[in-house]
Amino acid sequence: MPRAFLSASRLLDGLDPVPPKAELEETLFLSKVELESWEGDALTVSVTPDRLDLLSETGLRSYLEGALGRTGGLPVVHDYTLAPGEFLEATARVAPLRPEIAGLVVHAPVGSALDAGLLEEAVRFQELLHATVGYDRRLASLGIYPASSIKFPLRYDREPMEGLDFVPLEEETPVPAPKFFAEHPLAARYGAYGMEAGECLTLRDANGTVLSLPPVLNSGVAGRVRAGDRRLLLEATGTRRARVEEALSLLAMPFLLRGWSAAPLRVKASDGVHHGEAVLAPRQLSLSDETLGALSGFDIPPEEVEPLLARARYAVRRTSDGWLVAAPAWRADLLGAVDVAEDVLLLRGVRTDEGRLPPSSTEGRRRPEARFRARIGAHLLGLGFTALHSPVLTSEELVARVGRTQSLELTNPVSAELARTRDCLLLSLVAALGANLRHGYPQRFSELGPVLVRDPASESGARTSEHAAFLVAGEGAGFAEAAAILEYLLRRLSVAGVREPAELPGTIPGRAARVMLAGETVAELGELHPSVLEATGALVPAVWGELHLDVLYPLLGPAVEPTSAGPTDPRRASP
Amino acid sequence: MEPSSPPADGPALSLSPAERKLLVHLRSATAPHSEEEVAAATGLAAEAVRGGLQRLRSKRLTVVDEQHAERLVLTKRGEDGLARGLPERRLLQRLQALGRPADAGELAGGELDAEELPVAIGVLRRRRLLAEGSPFALQPGSESAAAELPEERALAAARDGAAVAPEESSTLKRRGLLAVERSTTRRWSPSEEGGRLPLGDGSRPEEGALRPERLRDGSWREVEFRPYDVRAPVPYVQGPAPHPYLAFLEEFAELLVGLGFAEEEGPLLETEFWNNDVLFMPQEHPARSVHDVFSVRGVEGRLPDAHLLLGVAAAHEGRPLSGTSEPLSVGWRSPFNPEISRRPVLRSQTTSVSARFLASRPRPPFRRYCIGRSFRPDAVDARHHVEFDQCEGILGEEGTSMRELVGMFQALAEGIGIRELRIRPSYFPFTEPSVEGYVRHPSLGWMEVLPGGLFRPEVLRPLGVEVPVAAWGVGLTRLAMVALGVNDIRELFDADLDRLRGGD
Repeated sequence: MPRAFLSASRLLDGLDPVPPKAELEETLFLSKVELESWEGDALTVSVTPDRLDLLSETGLRSYLEGALGRTGGLPVVHDYTLAPGEFLEATARVAPLRPEIAGLVVHAPVGSALDAGLLEEAVRFQELLHATVGYDRRLASLGIYPASSIKFPLRYDREPMEGLDFVPLEEETPVPAPKFFAEHPLAARYGAYGMEAGECLTLRDANGTVLSLPPVLNSGVAGRVRAGDRRLLLEATGTRRARVEEALSLLAMPFLLRGWSAAPLRVKASDGVHHGEAVLAPRQLSLSDETLGALSGFDIPPEEVEPLLARARYAVRRTSDGWLVAAPAWRADLLGAVDVAEDVLLLRGVRTDEGRLPPSSTEGRRRPEARFRARIGAHLLGLGFTALHSPVLTSEELVARVGRTQSLELTNPVSAELARTRDCLLLSLVAALGANLRHGYPQRFSELGPVLVRDPASESGARTSEHAAFLVAGEGAGFAEAAAILEYLLRRLSVAGVREPAELPGTIPGRAARVMLAGETVAELGELHPSVLEATGALVPAVWGELHLDVLYPLLGPAVEPTSAGPTDPRRASP
Repeated sequence: MEPSSPPADGPALSLSPAERKLLVHLRSATAPHSEEEVAAATGLAAEAVRGGLQRLRSKRLTVVDEQHAERLVLTKRGEDGLARGLPERRLLQRLQALGRPADAGELAGGELDAEELPVAIGVLRRRRLLAEGSPFALQPGSESAAAELPEERALAAARDGAAVAPEESSTLKRRGLLAVERSTTRRWSPSEEGGRLPLGDGSRPEEGALRPERLRDGSWREVEFRPYDVRAPVPYVQGPAPHPYLAFLEEFAELLVGLGFAEEEGPLLETEFWNNDVLFMPQEHPARSVHDVFSVRGVEGRLPDAHLLLGVAAAHEGRPLSGTSEPLSVGWRSPFNPEISRRPVLRSQTTSVSARFLASRPRPPFRRYCIGRSFRPDAVDARHHVEFDQCEGILGEEGTSMRELVGMFQALAEGIGIRELRIRPSYFPFTEPSVEGYVRHPSLGWMEVLPGGLFRPEVLRPLGVEVPVAAWGVGLTRLAMVALGVNDIRELFDADLDRLRGGD
């Protein structure tokens, strides 16, 4: 979950009276905020990904004001009117790279200006938004500028880098754009989102001053936002209009909740003029009594629902069958009625003693395939095999050692040890053999579990196959033992397969076989190749057998287990 | 360690003829016997008796009562001192013979060597028989006082076995005239087991293992069976054991079956459609990052049924479903990309199995569960692994609400022996409301183990499901760590044979 480090004093500033710590912690427990630590003024919180607004002190304070019943209703957003010439023009040339841009101008309340606390909060929140809703700036990135030093209108364009000089924020000397993109650490990380074929995105004001190279960095010439500024430009660029507006709305939230007024910046784009109202306009939603009752299971009277909605910071209007609500623009998590219902339940709270079991009864059961696997597991246990539980993911080295080239390769492994999927349990058994070198022999272990087998007919390109396998290592371990064990297991299922010679990876040529039943391979077995044993460090012979349970199971009759006390006489079993 | 093959005749308690004879004798004796007495009675050599009795003792067939004693004996120097006179006696005699003082050069040699002279001078001076200074002269009256020196008296007493004062004996021991001789007297008798051990009469040959041919021809009647040392160390045998974690999963499955849930299974490798899209996980949104996935190369996925794909795309884009006029919600306000849908990924949640079940349009009421592996890219440490087991459960019927979900949480918590449960809000893109069931662990405090919620309409309607469906999941791996007392998640994949067999 996204995490933020907040100032407790800034969070609680204005919450009069300040709630006792225990009440605050309980309120947070019942919210979508997890209070990870609270030491002095330092709060560490994590927030569910739908409520990014709670990652800032101001946003969280607004929530607490409602949750604690200190205030209610839709937060007031003060409008602000821009001059006709204050707009932004986006050329069609930006479209292939980063087509969307939106802007807001925010203005401090009369008699006040940007203070250091709000500036720090906004900058920190900006970075959190980059990492979350911005998908690390790929979908949306944000900029904050002192509007006083900007001459409107603005121009968002794509320009050749050659001949373009840029003063990076915090620096004073111009740097040629190609050098900036080649050398600056932020350009190395985000430059690809805003540059292509020797050209890069630029945001300039009417004087031609480069304000930023989206989505990488603001210009030092445009001026750094400082405490005392009263008029700020907030802008967002990105690839999706919805994400750009969502990010910009969230960035504006701390200003708006602290009484700043805001005006959306008109964007004259190639596809028309965007007035940007969505960035500030409250979200209108409805919630019917029926939906609330059906989701909650409670019959909550309307006179109880209305204050709960108000505490959730909605503007509320009662209709004939429910509620029309307006929510702040930054609540992008509100998609429909169920989301509003959740807010009602969240503030009402759900006690465990209000739970009830569904009235209908249903029949519980295991899948027959699972029961079949459990039976095979019991047989292996009875044969003296110790059961293993191994990861499906395995190492590249092991796959190469055993020669299982058909195993799938992860594109984003976290380590070389967990970089491939197993296509047979032999890989896991060999790994276990290597993990038990300090023990004596014989060693006998087994595993039941899933493997992934390439299968073009499968929807995902590979089939999940359930296997059961065993390995015997020690002096005297040989092909015959594995074959005998497999025969025994099949006899227990009242079938008998036919062994056919096979060349299987990781085994000694001429000492491996497939067991066929009704034309299908139901098992494989063989003596492990000395090269595998040597590389594993196990200097004893080892033999392995592996049943393909998902192939075998459909071939069995209705009664997969003989009813007699002992196994079926193989001489009477028919293949 | 693995068991080695046990000897065919077991841990034999074999007795040699001499041991048998010794044991027979001890059993016939009415009192414990010393080794000398045993030797005399059995006619065996003393060494054979001593060794045989010790071997019987190691086989726990005899017990011994040991008496320890000490006595003073004269050393070679002590015996010489008594025979020739102690050095001080000889110095005394020399000075008496001279009848005048004499210096060291005159006294050394002859009866007194260079080592003995200083000792003799020291003793006589301590006895005040020799005047201080040089030349050396006897004190007046020394002749009568030196009739018998105390050292001579003590030495003679030691020789005769009489008592010697401790201070005198220690002086003589320091001078190397006396030594301490320690002796142990052992008196042997049969142990309780030695008294009971069947010995036969010795007339028949003894055998270890009972051989089949003896049974076949009846010749077992003609042999004695050598008794075994039932306490002797035996090979280390370990038996197979069910895997404790797998046993835990089985128990949990049985709990769900008891609550009316039927089992479902599904593929580990899914397409993004089934892992994410059908669950209304936005294709480009931080909510998707909740479930980062492993993707694979070398295989290609396919899109699902077109009708289902179109329905899911409409839900994502906030468009009405086919045959309806109103969208389910505003959706994610981003274009839906089917190319993302077809990508193969390792499933990050077993909810994909629930989705596949719901896509089969089951007839309500239904309760289904799935226990299976899921995969998420994560740094592997004591608390996290890229691979874990998840349990997903769904219940669908008219009237299912948050209260039924909470009721199910309670039933599950009680089923695993937990009484304290709290509900707090949570978030999953596919459920709304979303909650998290916290249970109190005796030592670890409140732990989130029961995430759940009600499937969103954007999930259910494209799948054609009209009844409300509550869904919950359990992080079984985490729960198992608590239940099994495992502190490191990697131990659940441990392949160490010793630990798997019960930690012995």
